[in-house]
Amino acid sequence: MFISLKRVFKFAWQGFLRNRVLGLEVMFIMAIAVFLITSLFLFQGISDFLIKEVQEKVDVSVYFKETVREEEILSVERNLYKFSNEIESVEYISREKALENFIEKHKDEPIYLEALQEIGYNPFLPSLNIKARDPSYYAPISNYLNQDSLQGIIERVSFFQNKKVIDKLSSITANVKTVVISLSLILGLLAVLITFNTIKLTIFTSKEEISTMQLVGASNWFIRGPFVIQGIFYGIISVLAVNLLFLIAFAFFSYRLETFFLGFNLLNYFQMNFLSLLWIQIAFAGILAIFSTLLALHKYLKV
Amino acid sequence: MISFQNVSKIYYSSVNSYPITALKDVSFIVEPKEFVSIVGRSGAGKTTLVKLLIGEERITEGEIFFRNKNIARIKSNELQKIRKKIGVVYQDYRLLFSKTVYENVSYILEVMGFSDQDIARDVSRILGIVRLRERAKNFPEELSGGEQQRLVIARALVHQPEIVIADEPTGNLDPYNTFEIINLFKKINESGTTVILATHDKRIIDGLAKRVITLEAGRLIRDEQGGKFIL
Ligand SMILES: Nc1ncnc2c1ncn2[C@@H]1O[C@H](COP(=O)(O)OP(=O)(O)OP(=O)(O)O)[C@@H](O)[C@H]1O
Ligand SMILES: [Mg+2]
Repeated sequence: MFISLKRVFKFAWQGFLRNRVLGLEVMFIMAIAVFLITSLFLFQGISDFLIKEVQEKVDVSVYFKETVREEEILSVERNLYKFSNEIESVEYISREKALENFIEKHKDEPIYLEALQEIGYNPFLPSLNIKARDPSYYAPISNYLNQDSLQGIIERVSFFQNKKVIDKLSSITANVKTVVISLSLILGLLAVLITFNTIKLTIFTSKEEISTMQLVGASNWFIRGPFVIQGIFYGIISVLAVNLLFLIAFAFFSYRLETFFLGFNLLNYFQMNFLSLLWIQIAFAGILAIFSTLLALHKYLKV
Repeated sequence: MISFQNVSKIYYSSVNSYPITALKDVSFIVEPKEFVSIVGRSGAGKTTLVKLLIGEERITEGEIFFRNKNIARIKSNELQKIRKKIGVVYQDYRLLFSKTVYENVSYILEVMGFSDQDIARDVSRILGIVRLRERAKNFPEELSGGEQQRLVIARALVHQPEIVIADEPTGNLDPYNTFEIINLFKKINESGTTVILATHDKRIIDGLAKRVITLEAGRLIRDEQGGKFIL
């Protein structure tokens, strides 16, 4: 038993060394399949991040009239905290703070600062910035803000102007996941089919030898074993190659990508999730190699 | 040891619509330690007979027994066991082209689970006998036709099978090599191995003076001891 296993590995290794051209083809195709899976994994990470980002960004700003006293605003804030299920945070921004924020944000853009200078007074209104836990929670908040007693002090609620955008974003939020999953299914299927076909081709070139091996009395597992293990070799190498490629790409482009993805650091994400990613890749490539090989061999292994 | 009982084989070719009868109602028995030659013109059915015996082709009618096992009825792992007891020299060689000369011969021993030392010893011995030891590391493609044929013979004999079936084993050999190989078959037969030899080489048959079965268009027309090559 042990000696058979040793021989199966030996044959696999010989096949691996001797079929370099075909092997390269298989590895190339498998690498593409693994690349796709990895991309989808990263895409999932990015989209999760972006969705969260979007959800955090859709806050409601309640602007108060210039003349409203700070205590009144703070009492509205206290009332808002009763919606602790719906609201993540409420932040009070005074007129002075708003001005400071503006200057800080545009400190490198003199045009804005000059414009501010020309106005000659602080044009900003005091506001409350409300972050909801989920865009769908805006309804109860808006109901609260709409009550008559508050209309006298509220200048405007930017929430109402953004309602359409928020609705749209929350529907996109829900749809992105579905898209990701469908896309991964389709691309994954495509990659699997191509890999299977390539492996089938390589086994087809050995079909005479397979029948000869059977004729000298080799058991099916003794014949299958080397092909399966060879396939696993190809899978592991393609996984390593893809990861190396990603690492190099991230090392070069991560900084640029970060600004593109609103501060999402791909290299960090890749490193943090590397183990689970590796598991997915190896399981995917391994299962793909094993199943493709067994399926392709099935045709030639009829006694 | 081997028994053919009213065996017929019809090939139903998928391309041509008409079937080809390769063997018709063939019966004979081969006893252990016998040396049987099978002769017949090209297309008479010699190779078909060999293929039926090792279970490579399905029997259309009749039965073939190895010992008392019905070849057509046994399970595949039983068939594999029987195949290991038979050494076949295929007319079309059937070499493993991705393996070296050495590995072609050692494969069967590895299948049978021999130890590495035994394999090294047996392979080197048989390669010496067919004079291919210097080519051990070459691939079959790098051998001449006759060398390939000698490799097939080495592969058929290395595991000392109970039966050797040789289908035209000297077709590619010069008279000197032919003489040597036939002598080799005679020697292993004397040491107790059953030999079945299919050939259309008249000189071999007449020199052997052993049992000869003659096929003609798929029928067994003659089966005699000390037979001559008559077609
Ligand atoms: N796979 C096949 N499909 C259809 N017909 C076949 C097949 N194999 C053999 N035949 C036919 O069966 C007949 C017997 O063939 P076989 O190979 O047994 O002859 P043979 O005696 O070995 O001839 P040779 O001396 O030329 O090797 C021939 O007419 C051949 O064309
Ligand atoms: Mg023939």
